[in-house]
Amino acid sequence: MAVSRQTINAIETERYTPSLPLALALARYFNSTVEEVFDGGNDDVQE
Amino acid sequence: MEATTMFRSKWFLPGFSVALGLAFLVALWAGGKPADGVFSLAVLIGFGLLILLGGRSETIRGLRGDGRDERFARLDLVATAIAGNVLIAIVIGACIWEWAHGRDGSPFVQLGAITGVTYVLAVGFLRWRG
Repeated sequence: MAVSRQTINAIETERYTPSLPLALALARYFNSTVEEVFDGGNDDVQE
Repeated sequence: MEATTMFRSKWFLPGFSVALGLAFLVALWAGGKPADGVFSLAVLIGFGLLILLGGRSETIRGLRGDGRDERFARLDLVATAIAGNVLIAIVIGACIWEWAHGRDGSPFVQLGAITGVTYVLAVGFLRWRG
C-alpha cells in the first residue's frame, strides 16, 4: 500500500477521506468491496 | 486505476536547501555582503541537515519527500494555499501602506499583479486541462 501508517490511521479515525484509487486498493487488499470497507452505517475499516 | 506513489528522493529538499544557500551566498557576495552570504548558507545547510537526519517523524519525512503519500500531498497543497493567502494579504496591506505614505507601491504592486495574473491563468489552464 503506497501510503503511510499515519494515513491508514487517519482513514480509520475518519480524519482523512482516501482517493478513489486508494479506496479501491484498500478494498482489494481486504478482498472486499469499497462499499463493505467504507460502509457509512459502520464506520470502522473491516479487517 | 492504481493508488499513486508520490515518494521522491530524501536528498531532494536538503539538496534544494543547499543550492538555495549557495545562490544566496553568490548574490550577497556580489552585493558586497559576504558575511551575510556565509550566514545564509550556514542556516540553509543546517536546515538541510535537520531535514536529512530528522529521523522517522511523518512531518520530516513528508517534507523531505521519502514519506509522501496522497494525504501528505493534500496537506502540502492546503499548506501552500494558506501560505499563499497570507502572502497575498500582506502584499495588499503593504500596497495600501505604501500608497498611504505617498509612494508608488513598488514592489508590492508588481508582486500583487503577477500573483493575480498567475492565479487567473492557472485557473484557466486547469479548467482547460479538465
